[in-house]
Amino acid sequence: MISTLTRTERFLALWISMAVSICGLALAIAGREDPLLIHGLLILLFGLVCSYIVMFGYEEKAPGTERLSLYYDEPIKAGVIFAMIWAVFGMFMGVWVAAQLAWPDLAFDAPWSGLGRLRPTHTTGVIFGFGGNALIATSFHVVQRTSRARLPDQLSSWFVLVGYNMYCLIAVSGYLLGITQSKEYAESEWYADIWLVLVWVTYFVLYIRTLARRKEPHIYVANWYFLAFILVVAILHIVNNLAVPVSLGHAKSYTVWPGVQDAMVQWWYGHNAVAFFLTSGFLGMLYYYLPVRAQRPIFSYRLSILSFWGITFFYMWAGSHHLHYTALPDWVQTLGMTFSIMLLVPSWASAGNALLTLNGAWHRVRDDATLRFMMIAAVFYGLSTFEGSFMAIRPVNSLSHYTDWTIGHVHAGALGWVALITFGSFYTLVPVLWKRRQMYSPALIEWHFWLALAGTLIYVFAMWNSGIIQGLMWRTYTEEDTLAYSFVDSLKAMWPYYVARAFGGLLFLIGAIICLYNILMTIRSPDKAESRDDVPHPADLALAGE
Amino acid sequence: MSEFFHRKLERSAIGFVLAIIAAASVGGIVEIAPLFTIDETVEAAPDMRLYTPLELAGRNIYVREGCYACHSQMIRTLRDEVDRYGPYSLAVESKNDHPMLWGSKRTGPDLARVGDKYGDAWHVAHLTYPRDVVPESNMPAYRWLARTELRIDDLSEHLAAQRMVGVPYTDEMVKDARADAYAQANPDTDGVPGVMQRYGDETQVRAFDGVTSQLTEMDALVAYLQILGRLTDAAHKNTAAPETSPQPLD
Amino acid sequence: MSVEERDPVSGERLTGHDWNGIKELDTPIPRGVLLFLIVTHIIAFALWVLTPAWPLGKSYTPGILGIDQKKAVEEQLVASAADKATWTKKIEVSDFPTIQADERMMLIVRSTGHQLFGDNCAACHGSDGKGRANYPDLTDDDWLWGGDVQRIAETVSVGVNSANAGSRIAEMPRFGVDQMLPREDVEKAANFVFSLSNPQFSQPANVETIAAGREVFLANCATCHGEDARGKQDVGAPNLTDERWIYGGDLDTIITTIHGGRRGHMPTWDQRLTPAEIKILALYVHSLGEGDS
Ligand code: HEC
Ligand code: HEC
Ligand code: HEC
Ligand code: HEM
Ligand code: HEM
Ligand SMILES: [Ca+2]
Ligand SMILES: [Ca+2]
Ligand SMILES: [Cu+2]
Repeated sequence: MISTLTRTERFLALWISMAVSICGLALAIAGREDPLLIHGLLILLFGLVCSYIVMFGYEEKAPGTERLSLYYDEPIKAGVIFAMIWAVFGMFMGVWVAAQLAWPDLAFDAPWSGLGRLRPTHTTGVIFGFGGNALIATSFHVVQRTSRARLPDQLSSWFVLVGYNMYCLIAVSGYLLGITQSKEYAESEWYADIWLVLVWVTYFVLYIRTLARRKEPHIYVANWYFLAFILVVAILHIVNNLAVPVSLGHAKSYTVWPGVQDAMVQWWYGHNAVAFFLTSGFLGMLYYYLPVRAQRPIFSYRLSILSFWGITFFYMWAGSHHLHYTALPDWVQTLGMTFSIMLLVPSWASAGNALLTLNGAWHRVRDDATLRFMMIAAVFYGLSTFEGSFMAIRPVNSLSHYTDWTIGHVHAGALGWVALITFGSFYTLVPVLWKRRQMYSPALIEWHFWLALAGTLIYVFAMWNSGIIQGLMWRTYTEEDTLAYSFVDSLKAMWPYYVARAFGGLLFLIGAIICLYNILMTIRSPDKAESRDDVPHPADLALAGE
Repeated sequence: MSEFFHRKLERSAIGFVLAIIAAASVGGIVEIAPLFTIDETVEAAPDMRLYTPLELAGRNIYVREGCYACHSQMIRTLRDEVDRYGPYSLAVESKNDHPMLWGSKRTGPDLARVGDKYGDAWHVAHLTYPRDVVPESNMPAYRWLARTELRIDDLSEHLAAQRMVGVPYTDEMVKDARADAYAQANPDTDGVPGVMQRYGDETQVRAFDGVTSQLTEMDALVAYLQILGRLTDAAHKNTAAPETSPQPLD
Repeated sequence: MSVEERDPVSGERLTGHDWNGIKELDTPIPRGVLLFLIVTHIIAFALWVLTPAWPLGKSYTPGILGIDQKKAVEEQLVASAADKATWTKKIEVSDFPTIQADERMMLIVRSTGHQLFGDNCAACHGSDGKGRANYPDLTDDDWLWGGDVQRIAETVSVGVNSANAGSRIAEMPRFGVDQMLPREDVEKAANFVFSLSNPQFSQPANVETIAAGREVFLANCATCHGEDARGKQDVGAPNLTDERWIYGGDLDTIITTIHGGRRGHMPTWDQRLTPAEIKILALYVHSLGEGDS
């Protein structure tokens, strides 16, 4: 990888790595009596490893100007691999957490293995580790192809990718160490949050610079979504994470937002993390890989406009549906509920746009598991957004909130939509990136597809059942108008569903492992294809796979 | 027409960026800013007490261990929740909470009013191994809490940081944080009157984990659990819930 | 877009763009979508008019229905209390024998008692009421404070060693820790107590210890546990001659008990539960075992 950097970039890379090491050292010294020590050392080590890698390749021959006539795909390859490693890690943690909920003694007598600490390693591992890397990798790919422009330089993309993975590593190791702000999906502490801002600003600048160099007059829809993802996540992240550290030698900080305002800010963030990380970004992915794989034009450009702006505008109002009937004032709840209802239209418009794009390619859907991944993903996208809007209605939420129904909804979206669209995109992307005729084993893709689908269905149905039973048991009254069940009664009723969920999750995890294996074998396979897609000029549709 | 406009917008990356920022900012501003300006958002509660340093330390352990992943601290304005858990939660009850711990999932029961519901010894036994007391429980065991000494040397810094974000701790509270934490879990020591004077007569001073010789994380966490729902009476005064009529038994 | 290109499958016009092979159709937005958009907007608009919705600086639009979630739930609570009053009043005013004699009332006791007990008491006494280490069994007809329903109701209401001003106080002194007895005497007493429920324990080898323990017991323990060690319900001192133990009946645990004392904590419920609920619980608890009528 270093060989693709110019001399100046190598110098800069070394400089940045050293600066990171020094920051790590400073944190370690300042936090020597605090868990911060371990993170300081981790950052120091990370910086040193990066410095070493840069120095190791420092004297290699610098790339010539011929590089400028090719797309820059090296970081994308790394991003795909990182994403899959995080996927296996994060889903393993998910299965472990699921198993602990059924068999609580599946933990060590050590603080790090308790459910409360493992759970955020799962959510962060899958959302930010798997999802984030997948988004960064595919966005780099998509923006180059659809702009017919190469990334402007070599270093910033690596900085974004490696820096982002350092963030994930600090976040996840922090939860195991008990370093957390407790804000869901933003648990990482102040220093990691600051680092992520640096990474994210670079990401944004890189994206804009690439777009500015585009040879296509119009910006393609996928890039609208990627842009919205990058921009809004930056806004959300900064506002929600404003905090005062106990001292520069403490990992711990206190958020500036108090009580009810904190709840609103947190769920404005939390909901839109779903919207712009798990939805907008992945719609960007869908808008490129689905039409490419199906070899069909997008069903409707005008529908794309409607859904994009609908999603961007409406979503930002909907966060308060996480706080129905709480101490948050009624008026905010009404806004959250009404905007969630209106949001259904653009959401379904994008799901519909995707599915109708397949018109004329349904025979491919039947034969090609890769395309089927994407098709089912669009279905689950439609399903989970419908479910979301439904759950946002106050009386419905009075039943679903706090229960496993939410967890079922989350995973209909996360497994059925986010993970499946990613797998489908990766199976399309990997042969292109590594210039192979096709994936190593189409049969394994088929296996993966059925495992993933079965896993998702088992998971989601188990949680719908348990969630609704739980919600109903909590509010069932006897004939005398007193509560019928104690809390523990409901807990006992959950057990079979928790076992089923763990099993469904295990199937899904096995599928992900198969995917990683298939990708690695594709990279190793000698079956090279002629390069078709690495030159910034309009390539034809002949992409891999078919 | 709009399509024509959009085609223009699509040609400008910067224009597109600005349009996204504009479209995405409105919702947050309209929903968040008024929460600071509309007075009735947070009720008045003159009797509101502050977390003592020990309770704050316990709260930080609650955060660290991720108890919020399974426990809510927000009783909704629904009849069954009031019947089960007590008066619904008010905004003022978390006005000094940075962060709030309302939670989003109830794998375990709501804890907003658990303070004083059980004894200290029960909490210690339960946290040490929940299935010893509740065989059906799927809550993790937290055995190490009782064997881990509580870090108190930096509590003044914690209180100072809390003050920076708006919690009205006094200079004296900040200064004496460490001593106060120690005294609160050691009822027979000299520091006790100071704790009561600074944090109010209702402050619970006890050897929470049952052992006085050592100040452990168990002390802090139990002290925190025992204060939940008891920093102010506002929720009891504000509601028609029958639970609040303390009538003596005939 | 000069030359109009059409998609052979759908017959739709293409927009004329081409991004790396991706094209777009210029399909108009389907009617249904627009209709759907209008419908959801109408719903939203109606809700904004009817319920609190838009902030106005220092206040907000209240909505013409005047809905307030706090008021709503309180009205429900008042209404349900009024509804239930038909039987709660009866439970409140009737004495226990009357209620016990009334099959219908006892049905209510059992069905509501289940949840009340499960959410408040089961944490210590177990969902079956059988207790567990350190917490007494409520089904075994062996009572610390008396098993007639009135006594049970009092225990539940004020608690034991609780924060309630009228709490029952139960204190097993710390004979060892407070150096009230030397270690040998603690062990002797323990041997004696152990032998009460384990007759086969009295062997020629230890009759002397047991006899000495009896002396210690009579001098130190009988005031509370009685000369016959069968306990005294007015001080909550348990019967030490049976097989039922709160803290454990093996020799080691008995030694621990005498050495370090015991001070069981049963919370007070008169703030958390209504008088009717406490009565229901007392009846429910009483009905768990054979009671002590
Ligand atoms: C796996 C989810 C889970 C986690 C994590 C968890 N709990 Fe629990 N908790 C439960 C369940 C289930 C119950 C109900 C059964 C019982 O009493 O154990 C419960 C009960 C409780 C109760 C009794 C509440 C009542 O009113 O009966 C308290 C107090 C409590 N937990 C505190 C904590 C604390 C403090 C932590 C973190 C250190 C924690 N819990 C972490 C699941 C969890
Ligand atoms: C925090 C634990 C705890 C909870 C919760 C609890 N109890 Fe108890 N209970 C105890 C202990 C400990 C004792 C024994 C007190 C003593 O040592 O005398 C006790 C004693 C009793 C007794 C007296 C038993 C006897 O032998 O005389 C009754 C009756 C009783 N509890 C009923 C209840 C009911 C009903 C509830 C729920 C409303 C309840 N308890 C909740 C801990 C608890
Ligand atoms: C001041 C009254 C008092 C005196 C004196 C007293 N006890 Fe107790 N004892 C109690 C009470 C009250 C309890 C129940 C404590 C509880 O429930 O927490 C108890 C409990 C016990 C238990 C535990 C029973 C069980 O079920 O686990 C044993 C054993 C015991 N006492 C033995 C003794 C012996 C031996 C002595 C004398 C050396 C003694 N007691 C003196 C009041 C007393
Ligand atoms: C129209 C779109 C959607 C709406 C209106 C919506 C609405 C909701 C609602 C009402 C909840 C429950 C809040 C609660 O009671 O606590 C929720 C939770 C959640 N949803 Fe959605 N949802 C939508 C789409 C999605 C999608 C596509 C995903 C993708 C993964 C997703 C992920 C989540 C997550 C992760 C949570 C859990 C948040 C938490 O409590 O931690 N949602 N959503
Ligand atoms: C192998 C597959 C998976 C398993 C077994 C699994 C399991 C779990 C479990 C057990 C929980 C905790 C639920 C609870 O507290 O009751 C959870 C939460 C969550 N998971 Fe997964 N998960 C898997 C995959 C994923 C993926 C791929 C994503 C996202 C892309 C994801 C996103 C989430 C989120 C956002 C939550 C938090 C939900 C909330 O707080 O409401 N999971 N998962
Ligand atoms: Ca954070
Ligand atoms: Ca959650
Ligand atoms: Cu949401």
